[in-house]
Amino acid sequence: MEFYVEEGKELEQNCSTLILPALSIGNVGQLAVDLLISSLKAEKIGYLDDPNILPCVGNDAYWPSPPGDLTLPLEAYESSSSALTLVQQRSPVVKGMMVEYAKNLANFASSNGKKHVIILSSLDFGRWHTIDVSSGLQVYYLSTSNIDGTDEDCERLGWNRLQEYNPSQRMWKYLNTLAEVGSTLEEDLPFEELGDEDYYPSLPFAALFSCFKAKGLKVTCLLCYCSEGDNIPEGFHLAEAASKLMGLSQDEFHGNEAGRWIIPYSWKSVYGPPADISLF
Amino acid sequence: MDDVVTDIPPPSRFMLEDLNNFTPPSPPLPSPFLVFSTLDSSKSFHPSILIIAMSSPSLHFLHHLSSKTLIGTLVLPEFPFSANSVEPLLSDKSCNIYALNDSDRLIMIALVQYSVTSERSHAVAKLLIGERIIPERVLILDSVQSRNFRGKLSPDDIFAVKLETSFERRSSDTGDSPLIKGLDYFPSGSVVDGLAASLLSRCQLKKIKGTLCVSWPHFGVSVMSLVKSLLLKGALAGINHSSDADLEDEYLRFSRSKDFHLDSELYT
Repeated sequence: MEFYVEEGKELEQNCSTLILPALSIGNVGQLAVDLLISSLKAEKIGYLDDPNILPCVGNDAYWPSPPGDLTLPLEAYESSSSALTLVQQRSPVVKGMMVEYAKNLANFASSNGKKHVIILSSLDFGRWHTIDVSSGLQVYYLSTSNIDGTDEDCERLGWNRLQEYNPSQRMWKYLNTLAEVGSTLEEDLPFEELGDEDYYPSLPFAALFSCFKAKGLKVTCLLCYCSEGDNIPEGFHLAEAASKLMGLSQDEFHGNEAGRWIIPYSWKSVYGPPADISLF
Repeated sequence: MDDVVTDIPPPSRFMLEDLNNFTPPSPPLPSPFLVFSTLDSSKSFHPSILIIAMSSPSLHFLHHLSSKTLIGTLVLPEFPFSANSVEPLLSDKSCNIYALNDSDRLIMIALVQYSVTSERSHAVAKLLIGERIIPERVLILDSVQSRNFRGKLSPDDIFAVKLETSFERRSSDTGDSPLIKGLDYFPSGSVVDGLAASLLSRCQLKKIKGTLCVSWPHFGVSVMSLVKSLLLKGALAGINHSSDADLEDEYLRFSRSKDFHLDSELYT
């Protein structure tokens, strides 16, 4: 993975927190990062080039003006007032290369002075075992602060640790092995059949969590359950959670939506064009 | 009625293997490579303009440009030569590279006549731009991909839109003539993927002036006329070209007989 800095820009040393999405059902992490970049008016500072990311290009995702600012699949933004770096990922990972990609990202974060990484992602509602409707859309988390995945700040914010996390479970241990330098995914898994307990460590957020952890960085995963559909509400929810964890004040946001959010320009067509009314 | 369980999901939604850390990777393929007619294997090329054509209308027009000379080819090992002819044909599965000498500037043209997968695009883009071929400006010609386009698309619409690297946008501001004139920008919220995206990304990263022009629809005499007109007023202004009604008739027959996206080894 190579990092290409935009002309006249540089990575700020004080931006020691990195926020990025992990691919997941409903693209929720990516929607949340879009909202944060747009609402913090974070500045694009460079591009990450990795052969494990499929190519895509587009027009500016955030602003209609000035027109034609090119968007690439993996971009780095900074909000120096919030001491934040944000990486947005717009296309999938090449099949079978998720762990390699996660290792490359972890190398980038570690060699550029990042201390805390916040991963935003979502989980399939169909896998939710203990349904609790009393508290609305709940945020779940996983942290490197303690061996069992708990973290005091997250608990104080009323979030629940991901109960399915078990660091001594075979797939979590296998991920830790893969996250080490020089390890590669074996052609055949060293386990015969995969069960329900192997599901969570198979998800992209788990690869990122394990690889960043292997670099000695503090990692917090923020997760919410959802189904495929209009996942913008979940995007808002995770963005809100990330801003609470970071302790961001109202002043750092520039939007009017619910007091702080700016809807990215590209979202006006996120679900395609309106229906052809001539049908009716 | 669509089967939501077994049908291929729309592009913004993931397949299960996309979200599985333990999906095994595909077997590695041999690397693509360039072959040039020059014996000097270290020779590099510095064209004023590199045109890379992938869309059917652009391939058809540029294939018939008589003033070009074949100088090389990009070999993608997964495409056998067995069905290709000695003299280049539009039906060949090839990526031939041509030189067009126009007074004192060199224009190179690559005609990408095979379908490069997204996974291979990064490697192919590296070969075409920035190693042995170091262009001043790049023009990429592809078609709008309906699966990635968030606006309305009708077969009756004929249009082209563009994306540019920041260096190309800056050069337009300082008076350089654009390679493609009079086009709006690709709308925000839609994307282009595949080889065209890889090529334009590489231009952006390497600080090369690059333009991607995508046209719609994929086939048709009208869209070919549009692409031809854009080229002759822009990147190929002043170039000798053969043009007559036969070209359009031939294209009409060609686009009726062949779907460029069918790629069957059964018929080699």
